[in-house]
Amino acid sequence: MISSQRERNFRSGTTPVSGVLVMPFVTVLLWVAFAIWEPQFISPRNLSMLMIELSVTATLAIGMLLVILAGHIDLSAGSGVGLLGGVAAVLVFQSGWPAPLALTAALLVGLGLWCGMAWLVVRWRIQAFIITLGGLLVFKGAFWLVIQSSTVPVVGREGANLYSILTTWYVPPTYGLVTLLVLGACWSLRLWIQWWQRRRADLPVDSGEVVFLRAFTIGQALLLVVLICNAYRGLPLAFLILMALAWLAHVLTQETAFGRNLYAVGGNLSAARACGVPVDRVVLLAFTLMGAVVAVTGFMQTAYAGASTTTVGELMELDAIAACVIGGASLKGGRGTVIGTLLGSLIMATLLNGMTLLAVAPEAKLIVRGSVLVLAVLVDVRMKRDA
Amino acid sequence: MNGRVLLAAERVSKHFGCVVALQGVSFDIREGEIHAICGENGAGKSTLIKLLSGQFKPGSYTGQLRFRGEPIVFRDVRAAEAAGIAVIHQELALVESLSVAENLFLGRLPQRAGRIDWPRMLASARELLERVDVDLDPEIRVADLGMGQKQLVEITRALSRHPRLLILDEPTAALGEEEVETLTEQLGRLRRQGVAAVYISHKLGEILTLADRVTVLRDGSSVRTQEVTELTPDALIEQMVGRQLREVYPPRGEHRVGEVTLCLEGLSARAERPGAPQLRNISLSLRRGEILGIGGLMGAGRTELVSHLYGLWGQRLSGTVTLNGRSYGRPSPRRSLARGMMLVTEDRQRWGLVAGRTVDENLSLSSHEAIANWGWVVRSVEQARNSAVMSKLNLRSNRRLLAARQLSGGNQQKVVVGRGLLSAPDVILLDEPTRGIDVSAKRELYEEVRRLAAEGKAILWVSSELPELMGMSDRIAMMRAGAVAGLFEGPQFDARCLMAAATGQTT
Repeated sequence: MISSQRERNFRSGTTPVSGVLVMPFVTVLLWVAFAIWEPQFISPRNLSMLMIELSVTATLAIGMLLVILAGHIDLSAGSGVGLLGGVAAVLVFQSGWPAPLALTAALLVGLGLWCGMAWLVVRWRIQAFIITLGGLLVFKGAFWLVIQSSTVPVVGREGANLYSILTTWYVPPTYGLVTLLVLGACWSLRLWIQWWQRRRADLPVDSGEVVFLRAFTIGQALLLVVLICNAYRGLPLAFLILMALAWLAHVLTQETAFGRNLYAVGGNLSAARACGVPVDRVVLLAFTLMGAVVAVTGFMQTAYAGASTTTVGELMELDAIAACVIGGASLKGGRGTVIGTLLGSLIMATLLNGMTLLAVAPEAKLIVRGSVLVLAVLVDVRMKRDA
Repeated sequence: MNGRVLLAAERVSKHFGCVVALQGVSFDIREGEIHAICGENGAGKSTLIKLLSGQFKPGSYTGQLRFRGEPIVFRDVRAAEAAGIAVIHQELALVESLSVAENLFLGRLPQRAGRIDWPRMLASARELLERVDVDLDPEIRVADLGMGQKQLVEITRALSRHPRLLILDEPTAALGEEEVETLTEQLGRLRRQGVAAVYISHKLGEILTLADRVTVLRDGSSVRTQEVTELTPDALIEQMVGRQLREVYPPRGEHRVGEVTLCLEGLSARAERPGAPQLRNISLSLRRGEILGIGGLMGAGRTELVSHLYGLWGQRLSGTVTLNGRSYGRPSPRRSLARGMMLVTEDRQRWGLVAGRTVDENLSLSSHEAIANWGWVVRSVEQARNSAVMSKLNLRSNRRLLAARQLSGGNQQKVVVGRGLLSAPDVILLDEPTRGIDVSAKRELYEEVRRLAAEGKAILWVSSELPELMGMSDRIAMMRAGAVAGLFEGPQFDARCLMAAATGQTT
């Protein structure tokens, strides 16, 4: 499945070659470098932390991808992460709401805010850059109001709740393995069914060995991930949330009419309109989904930070945009994939985690992250020109 | 009037792929004359002036250019400019938000100590404007000028480089009568100053009063060059259209024309942007199984007619438009598709294709409702539908996963047509569907349109090529200045009558 997807994207030019081949290579290189420098980097504990950090970054990046695919941008995401995480924290830990209810309420707030911003964008034809820049400031102000510019700790006095376990709960090792087995079986079955259907429909198919090898390799990689996690405490819950969201977003962009419309609106707005695509509705939906993703990221990031403080979420929108772009998305819209965005996020998260472990100065961290973004885009542009 | 030859083209030919744009054209311009070039759309006029002004690389055409008798090769546009050739394109190259003076000196603004020397610039601008006798305030913003005045700014800018030859591509297309008069005066003055002008226009009246000599182009060849005194409007039209119908059009089938599906009564619409034609009081009806050709010159409002009907620009229409018994006043593409109307636009890169996506996705773009189940694209349904339409249009199915931009022009056009057909239309609007596609693809398209008519679709066919219109249409409506200038019944058409209606000459 993934391979045929890639192959199609490759041939249709939707993902640059760099997005498919170069990025895993760069990631491995980074890992090797960090491991040599600081062996602690590949300890199960640090890798588990890295996965949680990746989950937070990548979740937001996937939401950002939807907005970017439509040819827009969301600068308010970072402030939104702080605000929505803060709203939920105040509701749970100050007002004493049950966690599931509070999270749902904050999620709804997110949906409403982003839907409202999108309405301004489509109804009055104002650039999303401006609207979300306004959102960035407004949400930040509202965030500080909500938490009264203080600190709201995310720890249950009466024990753990849904909010506080978001980044601290792990699937117990045995269940992790069982989950992997079940998922792997379902996925292999689907892969095989697809292969069989294509062959029956006389469409070009990969040979059986190739399909098996591919499934085997990916299966091995996943098994490795689970084993590493199990060496610490098990699969992090945040990572499962990310996987579920990524799968949903992948299906949404590749298998639904909305996904087709999203690529069309970003790829050629005039043509999309002339072809009868409900352009405004597509943009509205992309932003609304972004609102939900911002809320989920907000919960995870706040929980990971351990408290809702004024700096939660700061600059996260830029990390998300960078992850999309490194993953091969075009800011003009209409180009980019969920898989690329995951890989882009992995590079960003790896850099941040590794540098923190090496105790690199915060100034240098910022400079390195910025340089990597520019470098990635340069490579992307060069490869496309040479292709 | 019989000055020396300034610039001459000798047997120049130019091909675009397998399409011949110019074939052995010889042409010369004398010093201080106004030389008009006329011909139908696609006759090669624009290609010729591009060639004269250095827009084609040496070696991409054959033949020889001579400047004052000496062979010359223009490496690029700058080389031609240096030789004294200035071109004023139909689309003006002015920066609207800057002043007249700034536009006049753009790229060579007078400076002092790194800052713009405003007093000097304004003084030189005023001097320039006075020299060409244009009464304009150099400090006014170009955006606040009328079309005619903008044209004068463009001409003034061209003249500030002291050209020997001024090439004007349809300078009067967007001008009102008074503005045309001012322009005419300007050209007369330039002629007295010894500047030669090449003048492309569709307006035969203007050509006959303004030009010294006229060259008629037809199908990329020069028919003849003659003194204007030897010409009459009739003779000119005759030379422009008088050719054999070389392409063979598929014969009309035996099917009968059915009831009226699309009916326009007194349709009017405002111009979509300043300078574009507005529609005026158009009444037409279109029947099932019929091909109604829409002809007319550039800027006559043909594209505007079909675009407004489809709602491409989402504008309110006045008058009554009735489709299948239901009237509508403010169409949008989405609503039009739902009503059973499709449009193949003239500019397929802009309006027709999402070039980076696959053929499959482009084909499905207008009919997601039919292939999606609760929002999920059902691939098998999609593939079956797309395969059917691809085989109908003779598009090989192994292309389905290619990005649309990787296809040839003809195949791209098939994708656009196929996408429309998959939305199951009753009324098909085609705007220049054969533009930029090769002969065999054209032939296939003609046959397909014939088949669609035989199936009972109603077809509105906009074309700037008279033979194509005459070969394909059951009826032809010729447009001029946003209105229908004449409605002609087939099956036989008289090209001269059509052209006369389009140009407003009475024969």
